[in-house]
Amino acid sequence: MVNGVDASRDTYETSRVYVVAFALAGFLLTLALGYAISWSIIKPVREIDERLNRIAAGDFSQKVVVANRDELGALAQHVNLACEELKELYQRLEDASRHKSQFLANMSHELRTPLNAILGFGELMLDGVYGDIPDRMRTPLERMQSNGKHLLGLINDILDLSKIEAGQLSLSLGDYSVDELVRGVYGAVESLAAEKKLAISTRIPPGLPPARGDERRLAQALLNLVGNAIKFTDKGEIAIEVAANEENYTFSVRDTGPGIAKADQAKIFEEFRQGDGSITKTKMGSGLGLAIAKRIVEMHGGRIWVDSNPGAGATFSFTAPARIE
Amino acid sequence: MKTDKTILVVEDQEDNRQILRDLLGSAGLRMIEAHDGEEALTVAQSQRPDLILMDIQLPLVDGYEATRNIKRDPELKDIPIIAVTSYALSGDEQKAREAGCDAYMAKPYSPRALLARIEQFLDQRL
Repeated sequence: MVNGVDASRDTYETSRVYVVAFALAGFLLTLALGYAISWSIIKPVREIDERLNRIAAGDFSQKVVVANRDELGALAQHVNLACEELKELYQRLEDASRHKSQFLANMSHELRTPLNAILGFGELMLDGVYGDIPDRMRTPLERMQSNGKHLLGLINDILDLSKIEAGQLSLSLGDYSVDELVRGVYGAVESLAAEKKLAISTRIPPGLPPARGDERRLAQALLNLVGNAIKFTDKGEIAIEVAANEENYTFSVRDTGPGIAKADQAKIFEEFRQGDGSITKTKMGSGLGLAIAKRIVEMHGGRIWVDSNPGAGATFSFTAPARIE
Repeated sequence: MKTDKTILVVEDQEDNRQILRDLLGSAGLRMIEAHDGEEALTVAQSQRPDLILMDIQLPLVDGYEATRNIKRDPELKDIPIIAVTSYALSGDEQKAREAGCDAYMAKPYSPRALLARIEQFLDQRL
């Protein structure tokens, strides 16, 4: 009886060892398999992910290599195909953009060269270099000159905007005096305002420290605003004002013109858009001045807007950071 | 007036040369011509002008290079050079100054304004 108990005890011990050994082996096998499977899935996924990140960053140069003959292998294959496709499209875009830039640069020269000659000879004639001109001829000659200059302005506007759009216009930063910038703009428009018998004033806080930005382009933006104000105002005054805080300058141009309907206020900053209605139809202009001003201001990190009520004039303002480093 | 003063005009466009001929002639200035950047140097060496008007877009050797060549010559380096270039691209003025130009005018320029600039330089050298 005792022997029987001992024997069954031995058997029990042996089976226990087997069970534990099997359990252990199973556990280890599971670990090993899990590791192998995760390695064969996670590594390719990581590689594909890294490749996609590089493509997103504009690097189309490498391929992702996944040896798997499963869905992941196919996915890698497709990523490679998409990359090839993107690379080709990207190159075609770059080519097109380069051609556009080259075309614009050539056009700029080709259009200006003859215009330069026309305006040059015209001015010499008006200055009497070729002898006295009959009185009757003076006005038509002056009209030719002013229209020639207008044409030149249009060409400049179109080229400026195209260059900005093509990303070819970079800001040339330097220190400038806000005071001098405003005075320069004032000097450029003074006679235009006088011709229309409009009063024009400037108000700048005294003792402003030197600002830093692209003076010529900011002056162009301000000039476009003042030019518009003069163009659309038939009676009253134009006021150019500068307000300053520690970080920004705000340039404003207030006029006593017809004002702008609320519905038109957003779209006048888009290219080739002027406010609708009879007033604008009679005014010459490319419809690009505000679009250019907007781009210049935005390139400086500022913003531009208009406050106006129809019949009560308009105030165009833009901000520019006091110093761009 | 200043009939003894000679201006070298470096310009490849005949129309522009004619405008300058008429403009400078009316102001009593003598004008000599070069049609490209290479000729600019040889004419400057042989005729010693009092001032040079330098177009930038020129065949063979452009205006920047021609200016550098002239400014490198110790006998010519004091002649003022006014660069004249098509519509001011940002950076053009700086490029012209780096090349050694003494002043810069963007085309299309007003002949009146250009003449005023020239006379300003000539007066300084009297």
